[in-house]
Amino acid sequence: MNKEQHRQHHIDMVEGDTAPTVLITGDPGRVKVFADLMDESWKVAQKREYLTYTGKKDGVLISCTSTGIGPSSTAIGVEELIRIGTKNIIRIGTCGAIQSFLKPGEMIIATGAIRGDRASEEFISIDYPAIADYRIVRALIDACDRLKVPYHKGLIRTHDAFYMESPWAIGDYKARLQKWIDLDVLAIDNESSTIFVIAGMQGVRSGTVLLSGYPIFEEHNGDLNQEENIKKLVLVGIEAAKILHEKGLN
Amino acid sequence: MEKQHHIHLVPGDVGETVFLPGDVSRAKVIADHFDSAEFVAQNRQYITYTGMYKNVKVSVTSTGIGGAAAAIAIEELIKVGAKNFIRIGTGGAMQTWLPRPCLLVITGAVRGDGTTREYFPPEYPAIADLDIVEAMLKSAEELNIRVHTGLECSHDAFYAGSTLSKLDILTIEKPWIDAGVLIASQEASTVLALSMARRCRGGVILASAGCHQHPDLSASDEEMVIAISNATKIALETAVKLNNLDHKN
Repeated sequence: MNKEQHRQHHIDMVEGDTAPTVLITGDPGRVKVFADLMDESWKVAQKREYLTYTGKKDGVLISCTSTGIGPSSTAIGVEELIRIGTKNIIRIGTCGAIQSFLKPGEMIIATGAIRGDRASEEFISIDYPAIADYRIVRALIDACDRLKVPYHKGLIRTHDAFYMESPWAIGDYKARLQKWIDLDVLAIDNESSTIFVIAGMQGVRSGTVLLSGYPIFEEHNGDLNQEENIKKLVLVGIEAAKILHEKGLN
Repeated sequence: MEKQHHIHLVPGDVGETVFLPGDVSRAKVIADHFDSAEFVAQNRQYITYTGMYKNVKVSVTSTGIGGAAAAIAIEELIKVGAKNFIRIGTGGAMQTWLPRPCLLVITGAVRGDGTTREYFPPEYPAIADLDIVEAMLKSAEELNIRVHTGLECSHDAFYAGSTLSKLDILTIEKPWIDAGVLIASQEASTVLALSMARRCRGGVILASAGCHQHPDLSASDEEMVIAISNATKIALETAVKLNNLDHKN
């Protein structure tokens, strides 16, 4: 069959366009940060919110695709990446930190995610666990250690409605989040449980590393140093991809 | 402290790592793998032995069948000092490609049980502790024992979801089979989720004689004795590695 017949509908790519490990991120702008941090990189495709660059770092081929915000567009991106042969999917993203001990610039490595999204339930019932692959969790931990970036490992919560569980939400968002705080959930995002379920069901390894800010309930005037911290986040993803390559997990 | 209501244990009675078989008779079988072991207590289905393995204090407590009984054991064991829970058990495999018998290191569990639903909302994931998964895989490699990793599906009703069920279990289980879930059993989701929430480590290693698709092709009882012995050896080496992580740095 002609390769073009396998061109994926949304990400606009075919097998061979990406590396075995693809970093995915919500913000298309962050793909450019990735591209600039690689030794060499080239644009592979752009359609809707899906922008992909592939490149080389220390001789290892790595790709980065943006998925836009939320489970709907992420589910499409992940499914299509799997269909063109992706073996490792690592989400590098931002989040709302909900434990008071978290600090800006720290990484949050997810072991699994509370399935507060609806997209993954269309694939399989809520009983199925959204867990990060242990080899990706290990690669992210080792990447943070190598780069001397502080991290926390634990559970996160994924949900759909940003304006229900964020500082800009209507009403008492902390009351809505209290039960997750009590269950040691570190942070809130909009994509991870969707990724873990779709990848897990198909035997594809996936994981998430999130950049912490100030805990979202706290008043603060401190400088987030966000631009530098985003670079650290992307570098952790790149290093983890290299580690997976070193271990032959591709 | 008064002894715990069901397990009849007090602080000091157990090591930090406790093995949790469902089968009451398996507590002794597991304790026989320790370097030394002493009977500690018995009440209802909860029998406990404590002893030493490579200079690490370890224990085994049988839980009886099901999440309800396992949750009682875990809650009470935490109160007497346990920190790491390793279920050693059996189950019915769901993937035809698995060898018979097989040994499975569980990475997470489908929450088809009722006990964890009472504790946690359904979207909360039951995840095996990373240290335990890695220690089990390293131990299996060192012992030259073949294992597979993946998900377990926990459920409550044995006679609804086993090969002895009168229901069409392959239809009931199709979503899990298609999603690559390795095995059906009854306690992993409780052991893993409750350990997480109590800031303990939880892990599960299971032996399976055969799969639900081909009950006629199951391994023999003798082969299963070896498989459970191998699971116990891996669990014991895991306890040593956890002890090194916590106390040797």
